[in-house]
Amino acid sequence: MDSPRDGLSKPILSMRDAVQEFVADGDEVLLGGFAYGDPFAFAHELIRQRRRRLRVIKGSGGVLVDQLIGAGCIDQLLFCHVWNSVGPEPAHCFRRAVEHQRPARLAVEEMSFGAFSAALIAGACRFPFMPSTPIGGAGHFVQRGDGFLADTFATVASPFDGRPVTVVAPLRPKLGIFHVQRADRLGNGQLSGPTSETRFAAAACERVLLVAEELVETDVVRQRPELTAIPSFLVDGIVVEPWAAHPTDSHGYYWRDLEHHRLYAEMSKTEDGFAAYVDQWIIATGNHEGVRRKLGEARTRSLMARPEVWW
Amino acid sequence: MSPATPFERMLITGARLLPDGAVAFVGFHWPMLIARIARRLAAPNLIVVYEDGIVEDRLTPLLPTSPSDLAAAVGSPCCAGSLESLFMWLAGGRVEWTLLEAPIVDRRGNVNTTAIGDYQHPTVRLPGSGGGTELASFGRGLVLISASTARRSYPEQVDYVTSPGYLAGAGERERLGYMPGRGPQLLVNPLGLFEFADEELRPRALHPGVTDGDGRATGGWPMAVGEGVPRLPEPTEEELAVARAEIGNARDRYYRVPSS
Repeated sequence: MDSPRDGLSKPILSMRDAVQEFVADGDEVLLGGFAYGDPFAFAHELIRQRRRRLRVIKGSGGVLVDQLIGAGCIDQLLFCHVWNSVGPEPAHCFRRAVEHQRPARLAVEEMSFGAFSAALIAGACRFPFMPSTPIGGAGHFVQRGDGFLADTFATVASPFDGRPVTVVAPLRPKLGIFHVQRADRLGNGQLSGPTSETRFAAAACERVLLVAEELVETDVVRQRPELTAIPSFLVDGIVVEPWAAHPTDSHGYYWRDLEHHRLYAEMSKTEDGFAAYVDQWIIATGNHEGVRRKLGEARTRSLMARPEVWW
Repeated sequence: MSPATPFERMLITGARLLPDGAVAFVGFHWPMLIARIARRLAAPNLIVVYEDGIVEDRLTPLLPTSPSDLAAAVGSPCCAGSLESLFMWLAGGRVEWTLLEAPIVDRRGNVNTTAIGDYQHPTVRLPGSGGGTELASFGRGLVLISASTARRSYPEQVDYVTSPGYLAGAGERERLGYMPGRGPQLLVNPLGLFEFADEELRPRALHPGVTDGDGRATGGWPMAVGEGVPRLPEPTEEELAVARAEIGNARDRYYRVPSS
């Protein structure tokens, strides 16, 4: 057994307290996940606590960003894409906001996923910029720098051969929220499966909050140290919340809930339908345990990728 | 067996392009179905790479709904991240074939998945780039896939260049610092197989029953169609059976499948 490292432990918070303590109206927050491991339980608590004017950074936008837009939480969004990837179906709230300014105008800034990754690497390394995907003449190069960064892209001459190089500015988000499968009390966050931009994103953020499916002893972490995508010294707080990424998937824990993606696509087609979704699935449930209860045991069983219950 | 539909022909034509043992970067949507069909036919040893870092080297039990559906990672020999997939493998030239869906594509192979109309005030806001820009900028053997034959899907010039093709043409890519030898090579749609010759889209081979006029009419510009465009071979019974089985899987996995 490990000797207890009291004083090194990170605060373990309820989701309600975490949102209260970590996020104020108008704050900047990067939400991790890539249409798997999207921190839905966290986003739903933002909606319950009626956070406003947030500046959200999210690589793979998806249903989570759509819900935050529809609920009026976001003023400004930096993203790589936003849609419902099951179907695929349009992200209806995102479209209403951009096409019709409903429920409010949304300022958007976008990058391709590679450039976004490179910007986070630059931010994590405190580099002035990173070489990135050549995109001269493309839309993101022309339509750029609308809020999060004074400017996003530039072209410089390579000091070695004089050829043009596209570079991207560093991204250093104030706060990052990352879903992990397991964490220990020290704040080591372990991820299995693909990691997308998670490693660079967490290292780029000034503060990091982990949302873990389960809390494990540090001895368990030590058995598979290579799974620690986010080491303790980057982490400021931990929320333990089973099924926190539902309806997206969590590697080794549960599968993507296709039926729920379809349900959301149907309900969010109209503003009234979206409001009903928020009432039924976010407000009336009270907290994420309520969401799990509403899903029901038969449903959660059918989505489980792990044979045993971990909560 | 009933004759192949244009959509089925599109899937089979795409699948035939992928040689066994090749490394292919596969983008969202129909490219995933095409790679799966190829794996079940002539390319069982295909290695597929996705933008989130998943490597897939055998048939997964379920068709993933997107590259980030972790059904794609079942039995995976390697799960890495975006730095590996988009930069080390795709930009690094380790990938030999790149499949990108191109629902709106222009004369020069520029793809729009961002906005129709003015960017600030779009009439239709589309999802945006994801990794599409990287696939188009970096991808070797870039094949564009479009399930549409509608004129509005092939404008002379897209409203927004999400995934750069040859931009305005005349070597602009290379002047702006793009990697040499990359850029769209082929396009597969329900009419047949198209190619980029002198940085411009034109038919290479059409399906039986499709006229040269049909091929030409696809483009919102006077498309050059050479003399005697060849016709593609009919799908075999096996190809058709596999394509139909996979279309069934797609329906089961909540894909919206074209009715004809």
